[in-house]
This record gives sequence, C-alpha cells and structure tokens, in this order.
Amino acid sequence: MKSPDQRAFEADLCEAEFRIGFAEGQWGTATEEVVPDDIHWPRVVLWIASAKRPAAPDRFYVLLDCANYKTVPPTGTFWDPVTKKMSAVDKRPKGKSGSRVARVFRTDWNNGSAFYHPYDRVAAQTHPNWANEQPHLIWGPDHTIVNLLDELHVLLNSEDYVGIS
Amino acid sequence: MSNNEFEVFVHAQGAKPKLVMASPAEPLKEVLARAGISLGGTEPMLVFVGECLEALQESIAVDNGEDGHSPVDPSFSVEQLRLREHKHIHCHRCRHVAVEVNYSSRTKHHRFSPATTIAVVTKWALKKFDLTDAAAADYVLQICHSKQVPRPNEHLGELVHAPDCRVCFDLVKEVTPQG
Repeated sequence: MKSPDQRAFEADLCEAEFRIGFAEGQWGTATEEVVPDDIHWPRVVLWIASAKRPAAPDRFYVLLDCANYKTVPPTGTFWDPVTKKMSAVDKRPKGKSGSRVARVFRTDWNNGSAFYHPYDRVAAQTHPNWANEQPHLIWGPDHTIVNLLDELHVLLNSEDYVGIS
Repeated sequence: MSNNEFEVFVHAQGAKPKLVMASPAEPLKEVLARAGISLGGTEPMLVFVGECLEALQESIAVDNGEDGHSPVDPSFSVEQLRLREHKHIHCHRCRHVAVEVNYSSRTKHHRFSPATTIAVVTKWALKKFDLTDAAAADYVLQICHSKQVPRPNEHLGELVHAPDCRVCFDLVKEVTPQG
C-alpha cells in the first residue's frame, strides 16, 4: 500500500501543470530502463530539458528524496543515468561566475548533494534566513514538484547557463 | 477511452489549468463541458485556442499595442481547431488583459491575449526595457504590491477576473541564495 506522501506526489504528476511541462518537452519522469531497481519511493528520478551548449546533454537527470511530500520540499541533486550515481562535478551544469545558476548548482556546499535553493529541503532547513530574504520561494501548502521543476528549467535555459565545463 | 483521444489543457480565469481528454470529431464545447466550463452568462465566454506569442514580434517603439489573437467558435470540432497541435484552450470573459510593467521608473503597456504565458510577457518586457544581455537572465515579473511571482507556464488569464481585465507587474531581479 502506498504511503500518503507517495500518493500525493503521484497525484501531482497527473495534474495539468506537470503534464503541460511534459507536453512542452520541459521535464518528465525517467523511464524504467534508466532507473535501477534499487531506487524506489521516496527517491524518484526526473529529467529537465536544458538549452543547447557545446558538449553538454540536452537534458539533466535529478534524483530527489521526496519523503513527507508535500509537507516539506524534496531534496536532491543531479544524477548520472550511466553510472547510476550522483553526477560527477565535471558532468554537472555550470553557470557564469557569480550568477544565480552557479549559486543554485554549486558543488562546494553539502558535498553537492542538494540544490542551494529554498525549494530544497536540506538547503531550506539550514538557511532559516531565506524565509525573510526570499519569502515567495518558501515552500508552502500550495507548492508542488512543478515549482521545483520550473526553477530548474529556468536556470538550465538561462543565458547564464554555460554547459558542463 | 478511444485510441484517438489525446490530452488538452483547459485554462480559465482565476483557476489552475485542467487536463481533459479530447477526441478529434467532437465539438470543442463538449470538451469544455467536461472541464466544467460554462459558456453562458451575461458576458460572453470567449474561447481561445493555442498560446499567444504575438507580442514578441512587436517593435520596441510601440507602446500600448494589442494582440490580435481571436476567439474561436466552440461548436467547431477538435480536429477543425487543430487542438492536437495547439494543446491549450483558454476560456475567459476578458477579450484582452491590459498589462503594465514597471522597471526603473518607467512603465510599458500592452493588451495581451488572456492565453499568453508569463514567460512570453517576461520576454516582451525584457525587450521593451532593452534588458537583452546576460543580466536579463535573473529578472522575473512580480505582481505589484505583492510578493507573488507567477510561474512561467501560467497564463495571464489565470491571474485576472472579469470585469477587471488588467494586471500590474514590477520587473524585479530574482534573489540569489546567499548565506
């Protein structure tokens, strides 16, 4: 029997807001061929489309821990569909120095295992100051997985995203 | 469910979009009925097909321009209206949404189709304020006198209720996480 957090997550994947992004080629759930058997709830693998950059993929996969969804936000980082592990630094998307892209995708914090963004559970819990500095990005009862996917998609399609090197 | 059915997205004023299955031969009004859209009322419900990109073609010199995106007759079939290609249907009692965007003591205006995404309005505003370099990447539209930043895929029509067919935004730099 599925847990309430899993049912809530799967219900949001059926909502129009998630399906619109999928129909537009912006994001989606990873196929069974990509995801190994040992990854199961509350861990999920999703992909987000990225702007074309030399030698960079056209999408990035993320492995998210969605425990207690959607009372609290997910946490996670980029995931390598070939090695089936957290992406190595040289395979992760990079941003121009000092940009928001570089900041959110930084790898010099928490061993690169979470996004440096208020929609990441670990980042949010360790930065209580963000609640005052960026209140519109604080996870609340109306937020869903689509809010996180939107943010990642915007960053991966920003002029400040430079590719993986 | 027939094999010919496909997903369409129904947007309406002040509401989140709905996912509905549509068949090529059925009239659009039947799809809208399944989505709970009432076409009656004292003011006509206007039905727009597809998302409107017209403002992106507008010259920088033009102020208070207007989209031509026309409503359709919902008695036409899904196939006639090419909904498999367009995917989106927007139902609204506003013919246009009058938008003003403020940035650096200046204001730009445009009368958008309700079926315009926030992403398109943002691109239009960046162009109007000549913010086309890399610094433009961090700007977002924030509803005036609020902290609300609509999502890029949201339609303008989802933000307004007829007869108040207008919305005001401030173009602001998104906060970069620090600390």
